[in-house]
Amino acid sequence: MSRPIAVLGAGAFVPGFEGLEGWAAARPDAEFENPQAALVPARQRRRASLLSKAFAEAYAGALETSQLEPSEVASVFGSALGEAATMIGLLDQMWSETAILSPMKFATSVHNAASGMISIATENRGFTTSLGADFDTPAMALMEGIGIVFAEDRPVIVCCGDESPPDQLVPDGEGWSMLAAAIALAPIDQAPSGAPRVADLAVETATIKGFGADGKLGRNPNIGLLDLVTALAQKRDGILALDRGAGRGFTIRIESENP
Amino acid sequence: MKRNGAVTPYPISGYALCNSIGMNRHEVREALHAGHAGLGPSPIELPFETVVGAVTGKLPDLPAELGPWTTRTTRIARLLLDELGPELERLREAWRPERIAVLLGTSTAGADVTEMAYRQFLSTGSLPEDYDLFKQHTYGAVLHVTRELIGAKGPAWVISTACTSSAKPLASAQRLLDADLIDAAIVGGIDTLCSMTLRGFKSLDALAVEPSRPFAADRKGLNIGEGGAFLLVEREAEPVAMLEGVGESSDAYHISAPHPEGLGARLSMGRALAQAGCSSDSIDHVNAHGTGTKLNDVSEAAAIESLLGREVPVVSTKSYTGHMLGAAGGTEAAFSVMAIAEGFVPASLRAEPLDEKISVRIATQRIDGDFKRVLSNSFAFGGNNVSVIVGAPR
Repeated sequence: MSRPIAVLGAGAFVPGFEGLEGWAAARPDAEFENPQAALVPARQRRRASLLSKAFAEAYAGALETSQLEPSEVASVFGSALGEAATMIGLLDQMWSETAILSPMKFATSVHNAASGMISIATENRGFTTSLGADFDTPAMALMEGIGIVFAEDRPVIVCCGDESPPDQLVPDGEGWSMLAAAIALAPIDQAPSGAPRVADLAVETATIKGFGADGKLGRNPNIGLLDLVTALAQKRDGILALDRGAGRGFTIRIESENP
Repeated sequence: MKRNGAVTPYPISGYALCNSIGMNRHEVREALHAGHAGLGPSPIELPFETVVGAVTGKLPDLPAELGPWTTRTTRIARLLLDELGPELERLREAWRPERIAVLLGTSTAGADVTEMAYRQFLSTGSLPEDYDLFKQHTYGAVLHVTRELIGAKGPAWVISTACTSSAKPLASAQRLLDADLIDAAIVGGIDTLCSMTLRGFKSLDALAVEPSRPFAADRKGLNIGEGGAFLLVEREAEPVAMLEGVGESSDAYHISAPHPEGLGARLSMGRALAQAGCSSDSIDHVNAHGTGTKLNDVSEAAAIESLLGREVPVVSTKSYTGHMLGAAGGTEAAFSVMAIAEGFVPASLRAEPLDEKISVRIATQRIDGDFKRVLSNSFAFGGNNVSVIVGAPR
């Protein structure tokens, strides 16, 4: 992919920061430890998983900054593990003596739970999808989004996230902390002049590094998308890695300023 | 190339199948032609009665270097790739590895492995020594094995949108080809039986105790099946059939129940027709989502009737294989290719007496003939809908 694409907006949920702006400014705020998910009606929100709420928070940020029409915009959701915490809850029920599963938990254990919830909340009858590719999830979700922009000539919101993996299933020291990030992409001719751009999603050598997310947050499979929206918020240019060494090495070029 | 107009049709140059009615294309064709279902007792111990579509044939082992990635899912992937051997050899000669994509779908991935590993964890406090979340459970596992076995280095992802998971990769491939980001793709998907899925559908009161009866008046729910299907989609190749259009939509209605009037279903079918650039009367056959649940069959039939009329023959092949969930859409797209390539529409089994609320033509007997264009529906939790149109080679 060599043609550039315009960036219309972005959002993020990082525990302890107020949205992307708070995160990119390195301004912690304990009030924002949990996702509010105001995009979603209260009744749905009560049933939503932590991951789905984090998705809703990041997605709302991208919607607000891009001014895209919520009921029309296409969406791509990416997650390496998806609703793994819900799955563990179901397995606990399944292997207990009663062995009865909660139908509501089962229905929301699917990987596309957030995608479905947000399409209902925004009354969007258009395209939405949900995918995963382990530590290449951000790169592949962007590739699916870029396919929509190029082939269908319309905007898309790409939203990636994972909550902490179940402690029971990963060795000590290999877990990560939760994040979700979202970016709104559009054809160049549908964006305001001067809008930042991305191009060249490929396996290249990175020239700029991700921002301030070492340790557990940096191990999140979706750190690459958070790095991308952070670099855009900080107006940094260059070739950015979409994983931090655990994926196939996809990178993307950022052009923050376009006179 | 734009959504509002017809898109470029791409050749489907090969396909492979594995499910409860056959371990390869030929066996599946024979079972569909003869009207033989593959539904029987569950190999998984359950605290209730149901029947399932289990794959009972021998699955191949993975090569030694891929041993740690061994699961039922990856072994089915190898079986499918083995069947596509000659087609894949030609495909690899035609296109650079960086331009070959692997775009799969699953709803279960390695959940069957994890649920047993977790059971051990609960009883002993530790996971099995050979359990590895990223080599056995996650989507990356089947992607890694498939890419390694065929030498593909292009985009690779797994779509997981419940029961539309393996139909949506056909749309992804079409877009990536249109956008000139790839030249070829392996698409489709795999799901395997697991206890959590069976118990989950039981909790929703959606499982039938006996072989399912899609569209029948006294249908009592679905059967879960397993298996997979891979299809090859290329920029240029000798086609078995053409990928003409894929329509996608959301119900925006309910997380686990279909829209009662089939609004999302109608939208996805309409978008597929628009992409294919064809009229509704040019569809010769519909491979329905047809789960056998009360809600789905009525709303889907209403959507088909409103868009395609009452005469087009409609079949639920889930009456043979059970509902293969994440593998259903890819499998039924492959069945649609088979209807064109082999010249028959299989009978929709156990559909009589038909539900009086269903006015479309359910094909209760096999129809032999020349089928030029077939539409396959898949609908899923989250209100996610996909309709795929395949056509005869031009």
